[in-house]
Amino acid sequence: MNISKHNEGSTLTMEISGRLDTTTAPELEKEIGASCEGTEKLILDLKKLEYVSSAGLRVFLSTHKKMSKQGSMVIRNANPDIMEIFDVTGFSDILNLE
Amino acid sequence: MDKNKIRFGLKGKFIVGLAIIVTLVTAAAISIGAYTYWNSITEQYNTTAYQTAKAAAGYFTEEEMRQYSDLVTRFNHGEASQDEIDKITQSDRYKEIWDLINKLRISMDANDIYVNVFDMDILKNFDEGKYEAKEWNPVYYIMDSYYDEKLQFQMGQSGAIKKEYREDTLKAMESGKHMDRIIVTNGDFGYNLTASYPVVYNGETVAAVAIEIPMSTLETDIRKFINRVLIVSGLAMLILLIIGIIYIIRYLVRPIEIVVSEAEKFVDKNTEISEKLSKIKTRDEIQVLSRSILQMEIDINEYIENIKNVTAEKERIGAELNVATQIQADMMPSIFPAFPGRPEFDIYASMKPAKEVGGDFYDFFLIDDDHLAMVMADVSGKGVPAALFMVIAKTLIKNRALMGEYSPSKILSAVNDQLCEGNKSELFVTVWLAILEISTGKGKAANAGHEHPVIKRRDGEYQLVEYRHSPAVATMEGIKFREHDFELAPGDSLFVYTDGVPEATNKDNALFGTDRMLKALNENQGLSNEKLLESIKKAVDDFVGKAPQFDDLTMLGFTYYGKEGNK
Repeated sequence: MNISKHNEGSTLTMEISGRLDTTTAPELEKEIGASCEGTEKLILDLKKLEYVSSAGLRVFLSTHKKMSKQGSMVIRNANPDIMEIFDVTGFSDILNLE
Repeated sequence: MDKNKIRFGLKGKFIVGLAIIVTLVTAAAISIGAYTYWNSITEQYNTTAYQTAKAAAGYFTEEEMRQYSDLVTRFNHGEASQDEIDKITQSDRYKEIWDLINKLRISMDANDIYVNVFDMDILKNFDEGKYEAKEWNPVYYIMDSYYDEKLQFQMGQSGAIKKEYREDTLKAMESGKHMDRIIVTNGDFGYNLTASYPVVYNGETVAAVAIEIPMSTLETDIRKFINRVLIVSGLAMLILLIIGIIYIIRYLVRPIEIVVSEAEKFVDKNTEISEKLSKIKTRDEIQVLSRSILQMEIDINEYIENIKNVTAEKERIGAELNVATQIQADMMPSIFPAFPGRPEFDIYASMKPAKEVGGDFYDFFLIDDDHLAMVMADVSGKGVPAALFMVIAKTLIKNRALMGEYSPSKILSAVNDQLCEGNKSELFVTVWLAILEISTGKGKAANAGHEHPVIKRRDGEYQLVEYRHSPAVATMEGIKFREHDFELAPGDSLFVYTDGVPEATNKDNALFGTDRMLKALNENQGLSNEKLLESIKKAVDDFVGKAPQFDDLTMLGFTYYGKEGNK
């Protein structure tokens, strides 16, 4: 998994690529925890994300809850496979998908 | 160990090395000494020889010298007769000079003093053939006082010089200055030094006075000198050798031997540290080395102690995890057939955690005589946290259902709210929950973010039942869960599972997938649920091969037979 970030004012965009599973999810959680201070809008760009496991979903969920308190979190460009995971798991009801 | 045996120790190497160096130094000192001694002695002899020759030349007047020189030259050229020679040799004056020279020779302990003239033409034109035949004779004798009278040259006789001195002689005669080269020859009685002194009048070399001095004492002197030097330097070197060896042994070899033996001892009998290393006080690299090794031994002991503790702790945790695994396994119904008195259906389930404890669980129980609840769930994450969460989730679901609740939607909503309370770890659980009215085959099911269930109608194939799911349980407080009705006819089967099945991964990172799963299910149609689950597990294992099991593997199979039972 690879994460690249860019900041525009209070908007932080994170591009996540590769596989987001049990081994890589804690890394993403740490990265988000470290860089979300003062962010009002967090955009997660999943264009290059190939796979997400339940551990990854957990990170999306906890980040979503956290960001709801200080602003919002948006998920962008999820490919059909990832989108299906979101649908099947019901996450599409919770997360802001664009 | 034998390979490391020391065959040729430091001590031996240093002694042999020092001995070789000392021997070489002594030999060099002797050679240089002897060479210098030889040079200075011959120099001295040479100086004396030339002075003597010069004195001898002074016995002649210029007129006499020119006359004699001219005569012998002409005689040898056939221009003068023997009579003329005889006349001179018998003259009182010639005899007088000869006496003087002879006395001088005796007083100088010389072998010979002679006066001669060189025929420059012959001297200049060397002829090897004539030289070998003893016909190349550039020396014309004027007077000879050789100590053996019988071998004395007479006036007018001619002789040769050694060819290797020819050029130096020629140069000396032409320039009138005696040669720089010192001529030493090895005669019958030892070394002889020969000096030939050119007699010059008004810049013209008229004749030469030569003297041959024996250096018989020189050889003995040099031998004595060498012996003396040998004894003195040998002794000095021996003392130096002993001091050097003692020094090296004491400050280098001994400490290193201690370090080596201590290190070996530590290797052999681990964990034993002796004081010897800290007692090495050479104030140099060896001290540093010994202290480092000592520190290393102490550190190693600490590490060993640490590892022991860590291992013990690990074993304890391992043992506890084993108990936890057992508890978790016991929490799920594991006695089959589960309902021996109920012919209306057959149910079988199994779970294999990837770690000691897992987050997957299944459950089935009768709410009352006519209602069967079936649960298949997967907690996000793995290991102990997931297992703890699973215990709560499972207990809450079962308790809620047993309160007489037949609506999966309501059960999940209640459980969701309870799980969300203080769920700091943000874990959630996907749940498939179905409640079946056994008498009719009608039921309600809710899917909270779980995998698609698989259904097989009596004469059909296994296929996925796809529909939009509700969010997983414990994601957000207050969410509602959709539920839907379903109906099973006798002979219909259900198969539910966790993502460990379709997401089983082989070494090429390929997923098992739902297609392979359905294929395996359809290939094993007609088996009892227990055998069916075993076949699916085998299919997954065969696919995964030697890659490690990454996720929990949990499955539940259900077949409805209706009121009539399985006939």
